[in-house]
Amino acid sequence: MVIRKFSRAQATSYGFLFLLTIFCLLPFLWVFLASVDPNARQFLQLPQGLTETHFVKIFTTENGGRWFFNSLVVVGCATAVVVVVGGLGGYALSRTNAWWKRPFLYAIILVRVLPPTALIVPLYKVMLTANNVMRGFVQSIVPADWVRPTMQIVGFVDGYLGLILVMAALQLPLALWIIKTFFDLVPKDYEEAAIMDGANVFQRIRRILVPLALPGLGAAALLTFIAAWGDFLMPLTFISSAELQLLPIGLFRAFLRVNDVDYGFLCALALLYTLPAIIAFSYSRRFLVQTFAGGVKG
Amino acid sequence: MATISLRNVRKSFGTVEVVKGVSFEVANGDFAVLVGPSGCGKSTLLRMIAGLESITDGDLLIDGKRINDVPPDQRGIAMVFQSYALYPHMTVAENIGFSLDLKKIPKADIAREVGRVAELLQLSSLLDRRPAALSGGQRQRVAIGRAIIKQPRVILFDEPLSNLDASLRVQMRAELQKLHQELKPTIIYVTHDQVEAMTMASKIVVLNQGEVAQWNAPIELYRHPESTFVATFIGSPRMNIIAGRLDAGPRFVGTGWSAPLLGQNLDGSVGQPVSLGIRPEDIRLVDSSTDADFDATVVIVERLGAETYLNVQQGSDSLLVRLAGDMVARPGDVVHLKMDHQAFHLFDTQNRAIPG
Repeated sequence: MVIRKFSRAQATSYGFLFLLTIFCLLPFLWVFLASVDPNARQFLQLPQGLTETHFVKIFTTENGGRWFFNSLVVVGCATAVVVVVGGLGGYALSRTNAWWKRPFLYAIILVRVLPPTALIVPLYKVMLTANNVMRGFVQSIVPADWVRPTMQIVGFVDGYLGLILVMAALQLPLALWIIKTFFDLVPKDYEEAAIMDGANVFQRIRRILVPLALPGLGAAALLTFIAAWGDFLMPLTFISSAELQLLPIGLFRAFLRVNDVDYGFLCALALLYTLPAIIAFSYSRRFLVQTFAGGVKG
Repeated sequence: MATISLRNVRKSFGTVEVVKGVSFEVANGDFAVLVGPSGCGKSTLLRMIAGLESITDGDLLIDGKRINDVPPDQRGIAMVFQSYALYPHMTVAENIGFSLDLKKIPKADIAREVGRVAELLQLSSLLDRRPAALSGGQRQRVAIGRAIIKQPRVILFDEPLSNLDASLRVQMRAELQKLHQELKPTIIYVTHDQVEAMTMASKIVVLNQGEVAQWNAPIELYRHPESTFVATFIGSPRMNIIAGRLDAGPRFVGTGWSAPLLGQNLDGSVGQPVSLGIRPEDIRLVDSSTDADFDATVVIVERLGAETYLNVQQGSDSLLVRLAGDMVARPGDVVHLKMDHQAFHLFDTQNRAIPG
């Protein structure tokens, strides 16, 4: 039997990589262990026993279920808006030859380049004004005691709609670039063949363009979902009602509680917070690796 | 199956006119080939017939009915794209049946039709495959299947063989002709390859710079080209064009030689500069200068086996001569050349044929 021998240099580099890996994995390990540890503390320790009380607490004494639901609704809707608007816009940007195409593409990237924090005050002001207009409109069509619940859905400040639009707007430039670049690779011949086959514009979108653009749309959706799910500043700025609070804000506020930091609960909540991102990632991978070839001559 | 007429059809992109008043007719069951060098507007013209490009001016008629503004899917026209444009996410069967599926035809009927077309095109064993898993020739057949399943009045082909290798191209050429004989559709076929045009067409439309240079049956174009453009474009290798002038007799006078022009009454044009067209196959070698029209120096010898092409220099003219394959000559040799005086084509200074 041949025993493969490592050189000293290799052994050193592998050893170093091993230590680095452990260092990177420790936070995750701590979060996982603490979430099931009845005596969870601020540092890594082996649990004395296993408990599910921290997870139960999320949904019983705390309002974690609602925060999770809020996050899913807002981020899910923002992703849907980005995919639909980005899909149509990316297609248009890919096919047009208008003179403003290049300037426009660079201009929207500017939205990404500027840190959103720098613009938060004027943005808030704009949204507040829009919110007042919306409130006036809502008050004119629904009974007085329905105004608040309605505004929680369609309000621009402290309502789902405003946060959805802000998050979508922040993610849209990148999605437009990704989808536009993807459509650049889908030959116009496919659409013309479909026209000759008698497909109307909706049939062309549904039967030809969406299936062909699926990897691009999937990539854009994945990046949007992950970025919006991890966003902290926008939910913090635009949501004030406790019942509309998003998960990262709930997590943050639980950590800030004076003399009452429950590390087991925090870690269980953190674990819950990572879950959708991981699921989104593993789902989208299917789209991302799927490639179509061979429809046209190279 | 249908008759197609184009009457003074024009197309402009902005201020650039790419199709400049094209008129021709394609009869029912014709295999018409639009041929011309790249940029002559032939693909644009085909796309206008398909309805993928608007028509700036003029009339397009199918069976006498003007269809300028009829949407592509209602013209009864199918098109085979240069790239094939097979939908990569669909199987062969789905690709072929797509147009029927869009019409909400029952699945069982679609399957039967697809089966029939697949059998005709020898695709029956490939119906479950995706385009990526097909060879070039198979993709080509799927593209044709997608066109003929609609039972169109006209099938348009846009350079369908241009990306196939040489041997496959010859094979597909034969298959297309066979298909045309079996189904008898009206076909309009675009190519830049005059060999494809000559071998398949029942009618050729030669296009040059957005205009019809000439349209007729292939052999007529070969025998009676109306311009130097058609004369040099149709026929391979291309016709030689020699500059000279007319002399009394009438005779054609080249640099250092002359030849009688048989059966032509050109007395009025004596002294005019003209061009003489002679096909490479109408020049032969003779043993001595006395029998020859002129002597020339061999520049390049191309031996193809069955035939040999001599590229020779006579004065300032460079000529191509087509000879039997066993002909032996070396660059630098002086050869004695005799032309078939019956096979002369004469062109005026505007490159138009002078009728004989």
